[in-house]
Amino acid sequence: MSEDSTLVQERTEQETKESAEQGRTWQPIILGILCNWCSYAGADLAGSSRLQYPETVRIIRVPCSGRVDPAFVLKAFRKGFDGVMVLGCHPGDCHYAKGNYYARRRIALLQDLLKALGLPEERFHFEWVSASEGNRFAELVQEFTEQIRRLGPFKGVVAVENKSS
Amino acid sequence: MADKILPKDKTEGFIQALGRKFVVVAPVERKDAPAEFKEIGAGDKVILDGSQMMMPPKDYLLPRYETLLKVSTRPGEVEVQPVLPDEKPRVMLGMWLPDAQAIQVLDKVFLEGKFRDPYYAARRANTMLVAVMPAQMRWSWFCASTDDVEKWKPNVDAIMYDLGDRFYIEVTSPRGEALVEWEGLAEPSSEDVAGKDRLWEQFKSHGVLPFSDGKFYEQLAWDHPIWAEIAQKCIGCGVCSYMCPSCSCFDIQDEVCGTCVERYRCRDTCQFEDFTLMGSGHNPRPDQLPRSRQRLMHKFKYQHEQYGVVGCTGCGRCVELCPVNVDIREVLNKVCAEKEPEPAV
Amino acid sequence: MTEIESRIREEAKKVLENGLVDLVIGWAAGSVPFRTTPVFIDNAQDVDKLVWNPVCANNLAVYLPKMAKNRKVAIVAKPCDIRSIVALIQENQVKRENLYIIGLGCAGVVDPSKLESAAIRLSDIKALEWEGEGIRIVTVDGEQVLRSTEVHREMCLACTKREPALYDVKFGEAVLPSQIKPRELPELPEERQKYWSEQFSKCIRCYACRQICPNCYCEVCFADRVEPKWTAKKAVPEENWMFHATRAMHLAGRCIQCGECERVCPVGIRIAELMREMAEAVKNKYDYEAGDPKEEAPLLGTFRENDIDPAQHSE
Repeated sequence: MSEDSTLVQERTEQETKESAEQGRTWQPIILGILCNWCSYAGADLAGSSRLQYPETVRIIRVPCSGRVDPAFVLKAFRKGFDGVMVLGCHPGDCHYAKGNYYARRRIALLQDLLKALGLPEERFHFEWVSASEGNRFAELVQEFTEQIRRLGPFKGVVAVENKSS
Repeated sequence: MADKILPKDKTEGFIQALGRKFVVVAPVERKDAPAEFKEIGAGDKVILDGSQMMMPPKDYLLPRYETLLKVSTRPGEVEVQPVLPDEKPRVMLGMWLPDAQAIQVLDKVFLEGKFRDPYYAARRANTMLVAVMPAQMRWSWFCASTDDVEKWKPNVDAIMYDLGDRFYIEVTSPRGEALVEWEGLAEPSSEDVAGKDRLWEQFKSHGVLPFSDGKFYEQLAWDHPIWAEIAQKCIGCGVCSYMCPSCSCFDIQDEVCGTCVERYRCRDTCQFEDFTLMGSGHNPRPDQLPRSRQRLMHKFKYQHEQYGVVGCTGCGRCVELCPVNVDIREVLNKVCAEKEPEPAV
Repeated sequence: MTEIESRIREEAKKVLENGLVDLVIGWAAGSVPFRTTPVFIDNAQDVDKLVWNPVCANNLAVYLPKMAKNRKVAIVAKPCDIRSIVALIQENQVKRENLYIIGLGCAGVVDPSKLESAAIRLSDIKALEWEGEGIRIVTVDGEQVLRSTEVHREMCLACTKREPALYDVKFGEAVLPSQIKPRELPELPEERQKYWSEQFSKCIRCYACRQICPNCYCEVCFADRVEPKWTAKKAVPEENWMFHATRAMHLAGRCIQCGECERVCPVGIRIAELMREMAEAVKNKYDYEAGDPKEEAPLLGTFRENDIDPAQHSE
């Protein structure tokens, strides 16, 4: 059995309705894929420092940005996430010495693929965030959320007229 | 029965007239791709003359993807709803005669025997079949080698022969009369009849393979060396069976969508490794040889034993589209002929 | 029989007879004059089956990972096929010492569907031959020469690498196209997305593109995996998108632009255009070309410290 194909969409619709009722603006749903050693620790620091950032991001912790298969990102878009961010250790700081260097090439090509397929590149964000950069993590989520909010809800990987049912 | 003439410039009117009584299904032109059978709508360009490669008509009767049932769950409550297609009067136009015969094979699989498939049955019931006989026989056809094609005529309701500026509509079943009631149709002249007969004779003699009796179902052997020869070059894709008008294998999968479950049916083929892969990891057809053998033995031998019809009707799609040029005609020749045929010059 | 054809046969005979290889992979005449078919020869008496003409389309490197695993194999190969072989060697899918490459200079391969568009009845064709940059077509009614732009495969119209990059013996001279046909893809992102949505919605998931691809050699493809399930089996546009997008990513820096995926697609999806776009990105960012013998390691299996930084620094 495959996972939930329209959960993200359903949730977004429901939240849009709720926010409209409460007079709030629409909240995007963002997938954050974070490296355990730097970026996830950075997010943790943001939390323990009680920094405020939008509750738009759903975080998945991975051992290293080198673990991020570009298909994770493609699948997230196929499932309807409004934005995807991948965060890893700064070059030279990888816990496994060079995982993030491999990630760097894959992500760079993934950006080209998204462009070639005509997906809005602004919906994908890649950044280096260290364990001490809690502040930076909070800012990043803030900025990326603003950016996605400007773009509006993601309409899906295929153009509307080709959508199945 | 009352045969009629349809001048080609009146085709649109004819289709509109049919559309008042039936849902009209016909091959619709697509960009860079073979035409596909669908219920025609505004703006669709219909290709009726059968002159080009088209998707098999099974794509309409047995869709590549169809929802079988939906389950919705709420706390303490589970509801199962079957998703059945409507039984509407339909007419399918523009298919080659071998495609129409292939639908007879599908009928055997889905309508006869112990289990009647309600999804296929809903689309198939009240569906009339109108075949087309193109002005030129397709090079890859070998219909007359697979069966006595005279027997195929009553299985369709009408045949449209392409006579250049007009179609000769031959009504081949009593209910086919309902197709030619439109007043825009003309009476055929004796020349038209001669033209139709000429095309039919061409069809009967086109692509007849050079072996005597055509009873390949008696000669195909499980241990024939040809299977290894095919398997060596076969890449194990699904082109032959997905494009085949009579291949009927499917897979059923369940998918969770939010608070509901969808059970759907989609295409599958004996050419894929996971077709016979067991949950335990065992695979009774572990490599390409048994897979290649299965497809041809099934078509030419097992289906004949089971239903009394040959599963292949000679439409030639796999001949034209096989990526490595495994030509089913050559295979039959090699298996059935005493000696190998002379290589083409 | 052309001179090159006879030299290929002599060479095949020689390497089989002197025991250098156990098997020769090449093209034989197809069931019709406008097709050829892969042939596997292990007996020197059969070498006369080998042919070389403008319809030798198949990239035979697809057979190597299985067939050259434990034995020595000679392969007749066009320059694009050789790039596949190089990529397979770099990725340890085949050993160079197990191969004897009979390389051929190429003048472009014919796409039979274009012959139909040029009003030539396929059943009338008796033979096809190269004639300079064009193709001589011999039919029952006589013969004519068509320009390469009218009959060549789309990939060939954009190909300038028509000399073999790696071989043990080489026959024939390359003929380069006098004009390179540019790719025509919509520029605006929305139109792009529309274009690929249309293309992918045609997909019937027969996986011919994957099976014919020499560089798609995974034992279990992500598309066939059930746990995790990357893409559902149903042929709906969204799932087709997932399959083709992921496949394009997997082939980035590995696709050598033979265009086999596009040739075999029964519904005419322009897969090779996407592959070509990715190959251009790879060339621009990393100055890397898949299938070039000078590359030391697979693109994504290595890195440089000064690689382009894809981080979109927000400060």
